[in-house]
Amino acid sequence: MKKILIIEDDLLISSLVQFRLKKDGYETILVKDGNEGIHAIDTIDPDLIITDVMMPFRSGIEIIHHAKKTKPEIPIIVLSSLGEEEEVVLEAFNLGVADFIPKPFNPNELAIRVRRVLT
Amino acid sequence: MKRKLLLFIFFLATLSLSFGQEGLLPFRDSAALIQELKLQEEIPSFSYKFFIPKVSKNSKIPGDSTFLWVETDTAFISKAFKNGTLIDSLYEPLKGDSASILFFVYEEKTNINGLRSYLETMYATGDFVLAEDKEQPENDILLVASSNNYQPLDAYKNRLLGDFKLLAVTLIILFFIFSAASMIIFMLIFKTQRNQREENIKNYEQEIIGPLTNLLFEKDLEEISQMSNEEISDIFPKSLFKKRLFKQVLIERIIGLNKKMKGEFKDKLKTLYKRLGLVELTKANLKDSRWDKISAGLVQVNEMDLGELINEVKSFTNSKNFYVRSLAGATLLNLSEKVDLSFLKDQDYPLSDWQQMNYLRIIKFVGSSKFLNIPILLKSKNQSVREFAIKLVRMLGRVDLIAELHMINEASTDDEKIELINTYDALGAHMEVEFINNCMLSTNPDLKKIAVKAAGNLGNSYSEVILMDILVQTIDFRLRRACLTSLSKLNTETFEKFVSTQPLPENQALKAQIQDPLLSNV
Amino acid sequence: MYNFLFYFLIELVGLFYLILSFSVIVIYFIIMILSALEMRDYRRKNRFADYEDIITSPIAPGVSILAPAYNEGSNIVQNVKSLLSLHYGKFEVIIINDGSKDDTLTKLLDAFELQKVSYAYNSEIITQEVKGVYKSQNKSYRRLTVIDKANGGKADALNAGINISQMEILACIDVDCILANDSLTRMVRPFMEETNRKVIAVGGAIGIANNCDVQDGTVTKYRVPQSTLGQFQVIEYCRAFLMGRMAWTRINGLMLISGAFGFFRRDLVLKVGGYFPKTVGEDMELVVRMRRYMEEKKIPYKVSFIPDPLCWTEVPEDVEVLGRQRNRWMRGTIETLQLHRKIGLNPKFGILGTISYPFWSVFEKMAPIIEIFGLIYTLILLIIGDFSAIYFLALLFMIYLLSLLVSSFSILYEQISYNNYKNKSDLKKLIWIILIEPLYIHPKVLLWGLKGHLDFIIGKGGWGQMIRTGFKTAEERKTIEAQAEKSL
Repeated sequence: MKKILIIEDDLLISSLVQFRLKKDGYETILVKDGNEGIHAIDTIDPDLIITDVMMPFRSGIEIIHHAKKTKPEIPIIVLSSLGEEEEVVLEAFNLGVADFIPKPFNPNELAIRVRRVLT
Repeated sequence: MKRKLLLFIFFLATLSLSFGQEGLLPFRDSAALIQELKLQEEIPSFSYKFFIPKVSKNSKIPGDSTFLWVETDTAFISKAFKNGTLIDSLYEPLKGDSASILFFVYEEKTNINGLRSYLETMYATGDFVLAEDKEQPENDILLVASSNNYQPLDAYKNRLLGDFKLLAVTLIILFFIFSAASMIIFMLIFKTQRNQREENIKNYEQEIIGPLTNLLFEKDLEEISQMSNEEISDIFPKSLFKKRLFKQVLIERIIGLNKKMKGEFKDKLKTLYKRLGLVELTKANLKDSRWDKISAGLVQVNEMDLGELINEVKSFTNSKNFYVRSLAGATLLNLSEKVDLSFLKDQDYPLSDWQQMNYLRIIKFVGSSKFLNIPILLKSKNQSVREFAIKLVRMLGRVDLIAELHMINEASTDDEKIELINTYDALGAHMEVEFINNCMLSTNPDLKKIAVKAAGNLGNSYSEVILMDILVQTIDFRLRRACLTSLSKLNTETFEKFVSTQPLPENQALKAQIQDPLLSNV
Repeated sequence: MYNFLFYFLIELVGLFYLILSFSVIVIYFIIMILSALEMRDYRRKNRFADYEDIITSPIAPGVSILAPAYNEGSNIVQNVKSLLSLHYGKFEVIIINDGSKDDTLTKLLDAFELQKVSYAYNSEIITQEVKGVYKSQNKSYRRLTVIDKANGGKADALNAGINISQMEILACIDVDCILANDSLTRMVRPFMEETNRKVIAVGGAIGIANNCDVQDGTVTKYRVPQSTLGQFQVIEYCRAFLMGRMAWTRINGLMLISGAFGFFRRDLVLKVGGYFPKTVGEDMELVVRMRRYMEEKKIPYKVSFIPDPLCWTEVPEDVEVLGRQRNRWMRGTIETLQLHRKIGLNPKFGILGTISYPFWSVFEKMAPIIEIFGLIYTLILLIIGDFSAIYFLALLFMIYLLSLLVSSFSILYEQISYNNYKNKSDLKKLIWIILIEPLYIHPKVLLWGLKGHLDFIIGKGGWGQMIRTGFKTAEERKTIEAQAEKSL
């Protein structure tokens, strides 16, 4: 079973994503801020990271930096309401993220993209 | 035990009582009392008389002027004396006559014990003072007076002011303690309530997540709208759903989710909002007197597309509270079937930039699908609304409305003219060059500057003449810079010629700046 | 007779201190209540504000960030980079190198690929000589302008920046400040909001960055500073920003916007002639002068304040540096009040003249003098054995309690509104500082204030004279330099 790490400060959103991904048979781990996110990347070996950008303590960009440095093989999907802001999107892709999903988003669409990234 | 204690206390009490009586006056016996009498000049209502039995043969007695003897059957009795210090001197000549002394209190004869009890009463009330306690150096009164500092009014004033100060300080401290205590109590209550509330909200969120997630994924839109009332009320625990705070949290979560979700999820959330009867809370919010409650209600109407409340929303578009009226406007723009700008036209309050920004975003978002009647805004009585309309033409790129703008060219105020010119400039409206040329001649420096700037893009040969005229006349640096910039854009030849014929160092510097590629955006 | 006069005076002074301590209590309670109300309203308003719009909207005003730099070589490049990455649509960053003696300029030139441009600099406000204006060849630094000028002090550097600035709003900051990414959007909002009054300036709260973790221009983990003086300043800043300035904003009487983080309307700043470089309190003086201008022109206006933590700075933890800073603040206050004597107790100047000015005169400017005199007075009472000495000792103790109350409430406000200091041991430290502050640190602040008074009195030179006479009108500042040059 594939493990997916979800870093997102909005509990409702992350629960929705978790619920949806569980239905597809993934194992999910939820963390609610950047610090926990970095810790989780270090301690568990997820097969995929889904992260927000605007979060308490550490921004998503930082998390991407960290993940790409320590475990570059893990694909990352960014889920952010800053979708309209070119600079953030560009920076994220420059860092080598697999996908960028702007909020508002559709969890079903997210599930499809996750499947595509993981196969 | 208790009884014994009580007895002991009683014993002590009586003891002290008797001690007290014994020690009231310090005379051990009558001799001491007489001795004391001899030291007293006068004791109120006390007198003494001399008594000589008739057996004695004293020839002097009847005629004595000091004693004024009165003869009775058995004895001679003198008149009443008051001054005790005279006792000895009066008694001396009577010694041989076996005289004795009679004591009188209130002219009633009394014995030594009666006198003692009288003096004790007086002593207790302070009317009798022992001779030794009286001030001794009576003869040195002048000495005493001179040793005292002479402080007119001082003792009196100090006492009065001292008391006043004590009073004031006490009042101030009491006031402080009272206010401090009330503030602290208020804060404590506030904090506990808040903590309680936050705790509740956290718990409620946990309660909401599960059922809501389930519902959103397991049921499609049709199913949600066809759920029976019973099913609906079974979604959340009944005891919680009765609570107002729970519903508020639920509303917030639904709205929050709605903002971040797309497609069918949005519709599901909206349907759910209505089915859960949360609209009632929205209605209550709109009827509240607090502006923030009304605003919250407006946000709910806006986010949840509660079209049935549109009339209530309309009533707020001219609210005197800034937040209420701007949110009401935003809600109306979002909800109305075709974006109806008529409420904006009738705005009494000036539109702030903040409102314009919000409205512009909504109009941009929905404007493409809905018919937008900008020209009616140009007829508004509210100048800021007319300015906003002109900005809208510019920001939405509505080249088709330039003709409409043209009609208000002359009637508009300077501020509107600035917006008009900016709009013509942005849309490249070359046909308005005459208007721009006129504005360059305006006396309003702001309008003039804007017109000069626009002339760089839209001007004609006449504009060049005006620009050079202004350059000759004005010393305003920023205006000169704008003129030269426009001139260089309009006609490089004229520009070069002008700068070289007027070799002011300032012009040269400006020329260098205008031609510096790194400063093209300055 | 002399004896009588002496005692009479003692009584009179006693009466004065009674009235004073009563007003101190009343005023502090009013301040606590007003600031709480203002904070409540501010937070309510914030619930309905969507800041993301401002970043991209064409209606949002442009912002010129002005940051003077003097010997900042070690950090300048990093600081400028973080300024350039602020989240905002229309803004420019103007760095003014105020004749630095170190490598500030060369570091900037290298890091940002700057080139001298032929900018036709014009001194709308007279400043020290501008040696050059630099822009970058690299498009991604297009927002940056660097001015190189002869040293003239902070106010003079800001004036040079104002002369070159293009945008509607000026943001005057210290270059070493850490600004939150959304700081511009939040600070610009008051300018966009009001319609019945013109917002002329907006002040911001300043956080203490000592000992905090900073990442991407935001403080990610708050810790109180390690030194007592640093911790004391945390409390002081909470008191000043969350309490004092919030209360003043409530009644629209705010007179001071920190020089480290203040936003102004450019056209108005130009109308009053920019900063006045001859005072050490240029930040306060400008706000007072702008307010005075509005009052003289009878235009309704407002000075706004944003309490959110958006700007952080390293505060001095060294006794000497802090002492110099406080000395300067005191002199700045005295000078500003002197320069604008005309508005004091003058009902024509509204709240500014009738409330703000007198308050600052008594509770800020005169505070150290009144305090030291009060201590001497109590001592005299004790020596002559006057019984009322006890009262005054009681009052003194009460004022101590009041200071505890005010300080604890300001920390409480911070906890309720932002809750940045989450660590329990940090809070314990702060409470300890609150307890010892009146006894351990306050005497120092008192002495620094007195020193400020002394330095103001012995300060000599033509400008000292000018400051004593004061401005006749707010606009007089514009002509004053020309006059001075003539007379030299």
